Amino acid sequence: MGLIKDTFHNLQELRNSASLANKVFIQRDYSEGTTCKFQTKFPSELENRIERTLFEDTVKTLNNFYAEAEKIGGHSYLEGCLACVTAYLIFLCMETRYEKVLKKIAKYIQEQNEKIYAPRGLLITDPIERGMRVIEISIYEDRGSSGSSSGSSSVSGSTAR
Amino acid sequence: MPASGGESLKPSAFIPVCTAVCLLVGSTSMFFVFTCPWLAVTICPAIPPCCAVLFLFVLANFTMATFMDAGILPVAGEDEDKEDEFRAPLYKNVDVKGIQVRMKWCASCHFYRPPRCSHCSVCDRCVEDFDHHCPWVNNCIGRRNYRYFFLFLLSLTVHMIVVFTFGLIYVLHHMEDLWKLHCLVTLVVISISGLFLIPVLGLTGFHLYLVSRGRTTNEQVTGKFQGGLNPFTRGCCSNMEHLICSPISPNYTSRSYKKAVIHVRPPFLRPEIDGQMPMKIRDNGIQSLAIQDKQSSAGSVELSDIKQLKHPPPLPPKPDRGLLKSQVAAMDDVGHHTKSIIPVSIPTVPQLRPVLEAISRGSSPIPPEQLLKASEQQGNNKGPDLCSNPRESPARGNHQASVPVQAPLLPSTVSSSLQLNSLTLSSRSLNLKHSSRYASNCAAGSITTSSMLANQSSSSGNGKPSFDNLISPADPQFVAQRGAPAVSYHSHLMAHGAEGAMQRPSPHSYSPVFMGVTRQSPQPRDSTSRDPSPSLPGFLQRDSSPAYHGLLTRDLQSQSIATRDVPPPGLLMRDMTSLGFQDNLRDLYPQDMTLPMSAAARYDNFSKTIMASIQERREQEERAGKFHVNARSQALYGPDVGIYDIPSRRSLPPDNIRPAGSRGPTPPAYGSREFLMSTGILGYGMRTSPLSSSSTSSLTRGPKTSSSPLQSSSSSLQSKGRSSSPAYGPPERHNQGPPTSTSTLPRLTSTTYPTPPYTSYATAKRSSLPFSSEGKESFPLGVLK
Repeated sequence: MGLIKDTFHNLQELRNSASLANKVFIQRDYSEGTTCKFQTKFPSELENRIERTLFEDTVKTLNNFYAEAEKIGGHSYLEGCLACVTAYLIFLCMETRYEKVLKKIAKYIQEQNEKIYAPRGLLITDPIERGMRVIEISIYEDRGSSGSSSGSSSVSGSTAR
Repeated sequence: MPASGGESLKPSAFIPVCTAVCLLVGSTSMFFVFTCPWLAVTICPAIPPCCAVLFLFVLANFTMATFMDAGILPVAGEDEDKEDEFRAPLYKNVDVKGIQVRMKWCASCHFYRPPRCSHCSVCDRCVEDFDHHCPWVNNCIGRRNYRYFFLFLLSLTVHMIVVFTFGLIYVLHHMEDLWKLHCLVTLVVISISGLFLIPVLGLTGFHLYLVSRGRTTNEQVTGKFQGGLNPFTRGCCSNMEHLICSPISPNYTSRSYKKAVIHVRPPFLRPEIDGQMPMKIRDNGIQSLAIQDKQSSAGSVELSDIKQLKHPPPLPPKPDRGLLKSQVAAMDDVGHHTKSIIPVSIPTVPQLRPVLEAISRGSSPIPPEQLLKASEQQGNNKGPDLCSNPRESPARGNHQASVPVQAPLLPSTVSSSLQLNSLTLSSRSLNLKHSSRYASNCAAGSITTSSMLANQSSSSGNGKPSFDNLISPADPQFVAQRGAPAVSYHSHLMAHGAEGAMQRPSPHSYSPVFMGVTRQSPQPRDSTSRDPSPSLPGFLQRDSSPAYHGLLTRDLQSQSIATRDVPPPGLLMRDMTSLGFQDNLRDLYPQDMTLPMSAAARYDNFSKTIMASIQERREQEERAGKFHVNARSQALYGPDVGIYDIPSRRSLPPDNIRPAGSRGPTPPAYGSREFLMSTGILGYGMRTSPLSSSSTSSLTRGPKTSSSPLQSSSSSLQSKGRSSSPAYGPPERHNQGPPTSTSTLPRLTSTTYPTPPYTSYATAKRSSLPFSSEGKESFPLGVLK
């Protein structure tokens, strides 16, 4: 009996929570070659969910992070030389510059999610999980209310058909 | 060792790498044991340490090249490609530094391969910056480990030269003791090193050339950037620098994700309306709207007879104006991404009804009785609907043709008695996009009417689902009436519309949202044709009305105009298939000869950009129709195309006959697959470009290249010479048959030949060539078959 009550309680919780309505994929911008850069164009599915400036800021910051990671300069020269000299054993001990920037990116994305996107029913997935091909933004719908979600949810639902 | 797609590792794959390891380690160790002591004593004691360091470097690079992930891209999840599965085009064009590069759909990995990415058939994964699959290290060489492979080659060459030289010196100094153990061993060592020095030197030189040109082995072998410009090169020195010194890109597949739990809980914030409206008011010929926008009324809808408002709307002025402006922007943006955000509260219908009546009495060409009747019937209609009505009526000017269309539509919509809330403009703009897509060249009338339909439906209800039911079926149902008679037309159009039609969607127009919207175009057509929504029964019965027929005619005629704009070289050959279409047109033409005029006049009032985008959309849909079936069969062959499955199409020539639309047209599933393919045959028959033949030759070269790059480079030179004429295609393939393992050739035949014609068309994701080749006369494939 207690188990059933717990199950009902969990279902109640689920009913009050949000459900995944749709996913928007921000594609890569290849206009400057194969360097990692994402399109800053605002997808129409997010029109009613988040301010355009916030979204563009996020994507631009991510682009800057990736540009910093892929930048060729003193740091990368040093890393290369060190790797050669140590017969690449250095990679066992030290993490590469790119990996460090990736950690920064992960932290930034989490912070953005917590502060900006989750309160708006959105979630950004780190593009590294998708092989840096897309930024995946999950759009959540308020499951509890009846049709109170904006048209974008319905639009995204219809586009997802 | 790379992941082999989850299957058991083939032992035969390890033979080359084991051989390489044995030879390398064995001969070098023998060199150190038997030759180096004498060298250290006689010539210089620094020789053995230097050789040891060099050998260590060789081993390190060899190990990294062998064990390092080449940059394998993880397979895309189902949610990413659910829109792409059967209707997506095979190719998607993207602009890289001003040069069009084609991204091919990978059927195994479920995404469009990024530029320079290719699918390795041995590893069965897509690899970033794919170079080749090297059997000597039993690994893919790609973005992450190309530098190690290159350095391995360099260091191995130097090492082999060193070993050979010093061994030769030793042997020359011990000619008298040639049969002693030391001498014998050294002889063996120098013979091995001398024997393998030649291919290794050749390979090193080849890769030095590649690096200087900024190409991968794959690109070189497939002849991608032969004649054209390579957008990925940065200059010789910069290429070297990037090769050696660029940061190592991360491993995508084996990462430990420490996912922090983020709770997404309602209620959700919504963006603020104030200060966010992009005031994009474009002059689209809607004069009255422009005038209205410039007015700065305070607190009322900016319509002509504002003073006739009995009750001022409850909203403050700014949102009102913003609402209207955003509405205008949305209408302006038909066919484009609408970026306007509208307020959530809109003046109520009762408050604006007097305005509507005034407008209908004033400048509207719509008979006041009809407008009044419509407004009365709509009952709960909200503001945007009414606002859009006067907007659309002036937009159309005095076109009577729209009136009869509206008349039947309005009551039918109302009769559905939906109770939808006044929805956001984004929804309406989506409908406008829908309608623009469907209506194509029958732009003004159908778009406005369908948008009217959408607006009315959207504004007369409360529930989202009902809105969805209405919007999606509304537009396509409207279209279905057009679509049904136009099915045969479409198929014929696909036949000739496909040729020369490179899909060149701009990357920005390739948003998934847009795709999703695009993707809806065929579906509702099918669904509504098969199972009309009950929500618009009256609407479906309207096709007998003369006005509707007029619309049909206009639509088809304008469609035909659009397609005739495309230069069809092979159209003559396809007259037979187009006869049916002509019959259809003939049947419809007599019914209405005056409507096209009004349609043209209607165009004048509509934005030129909207028309252009609509035309593009229509043409692309028609063109892509034939590839719908192709997409399916490609799914079977896609992953097996081979290592070098990138066709030899150079950096795409700027033959943008039609402006680049968005992501590939979604071919409506008209008719059966066989029917589509039969029309697709003629589409391909005439397109015998040299590129297609050279691409096939490059494809057959695929598996061979991995084992002997020297052979591949020489064969690439041969094929380049022969690639100019399609007639050389078959003999070329035959010639290359023997060198290539025959087991691979038939497989490649079945898989590669589908792809070359598509290199030119870039719309289909899957190939129908096995079926379509039957009908071809001039295409070289027929020879083989």
